[in-house]
Amino acid sequence: MPASPVSLPLVFESIPLARHASAPFSLDIPEHRTVAVLGDENSGVGLLGGYALGLERPPAGRALVFGTVVATLPEPARLAFRRRVGYLPASEGLLQNLSLRDNVALPLRFGSGATPRDIEGRVNVMMTALRLTGASALRPAQANEEERRRAALARAIAFDPALLILEQPFDGLTARVASELLEIARGGESAAGARRTILITGQEIPPIILRRVDQVYRLTRAGMLEPETV
Amino acid sequence: MTLLSGILSFLVISQLTRELKGIGATDLIGTVIVVAIVRELGPLLTALVVVGRSGTAIAAELATNQVMGEVRALESMGIDPKQYLVVPRFVAALVSVFALLVLFDVVAILAGFAAARFNGLPGPRYFQIVLESLTNRDVWLTVFKALAFGAIVGVVPSYFGLAVRRASTEIPIAASRAVVAAIVGIFLCSALFVALG
Repeated sequence: MPASPVSLPLVFESIPLARHASAPFSLDIPEHRTVAVLGDENSGVGLLGGYALGLERPPAGRALVFGTVVATLPEPARLAFRRRVGYLPASEGLLQNLSLRDNVALPLRFGSGATPRDIEGRVNVMMTALRLTGASALRPAQANEEERRRAALARAIAFDPALLILEQPFDGLTARVASELLEIARGGESAAGARRTILITGQEIPPIILRRVDQVYRLTRAGMLEPETV
Repeated sequence: MTLLSGILSFLVISQLTRELKGIGATDLIGTVIVVAIVRELGPLLTALVVVGRSGTAIAAELATNQVMGEVRALESMGIDPKQYLVVPRFVAALVSVFALLVLFDVVAILAGFAAARFNGLPGPRYFQIVLESLTNRDVWLTVFKALAFGAIVGVVPSYFGLAVRRASTEIPIAASRAVVAAIVGIFLCSALFVALG
């Protein structure tokens, strides 16, 4: 029996992605699964994260996160809902006037209601787990690509979300670092698979990562979703 | 700001003292100081200086935040970009325009005093004329103007900065549009105060 959209962490329903797509994009991402959707720049794969989080509205169809169309929620509810989802944008989106540590602390300071002491403790744990303690005082422009990506991932998992959306998370990283970041993103293992449900979008991912991805789909320019053997 | 206020007030009061002494109407100096400088030019010039210095910075900074994907990242983290980026700048603009206006007016009155003394008007007489011309209404009107102009300085450049979409070439365009729109807004607001006052 197929799972209902409410029980699925992430569902895309009939969204036209590519300009010349012959078919709309639909995909269900079950709980505890790590799914990669790959495609070239014109395939529209880079739009999936924004549609899921309601940052942009698809021209047709809908994206459901935990059974909710985020884009249709009123502004305060939409902002609150997004804290349930970790998001690593392709551009990292780190605030340039903050240190890497303050970037990691930012969502906790503004959205957790935790005490400053608890936030500092959580940030310390995150900085250690992501091996960023030596770079914590650096601004994004002073840090290298790997450090920026580590900080962006730490920020994305600051609320320990059940669902994580990663856009081009491994571009420019070595296979070893990419592998390490994916393990941190998965958040450990449960009986059903990874503790977190993960959607990875991008053009390519390193072969070593494929072993830890449950399903890889290739999006063609015509908008067709083709499963790849992992 | 101090220099601008001091020189402006010194020049205006020097010229007026000479002219008004000739026709025996030195009492009008107080009215000129209060109406022209404290009530009208003070808020207007203060707001224009802050727009020139900080309005461009606000628009360029927020436009850069937008182009770099920082605004989108804030939204994705559940942080309201208006609350995080605009509100602090809005409050800062209100406070800074108000504080600078107080500085402008104090320096203008002191420079007027120097100009009056320089042109043979006794100091106590100068302060007596100024204080007699200054009413509560003038003070409140100046305060309201400072707050209204501060709001324009905070809001208009923020709007233009966040209206930028993707290209970095839009940043200088946003900055210049923001300053022009803010200046127009300040003049229109000033005219509205005169019309309503």
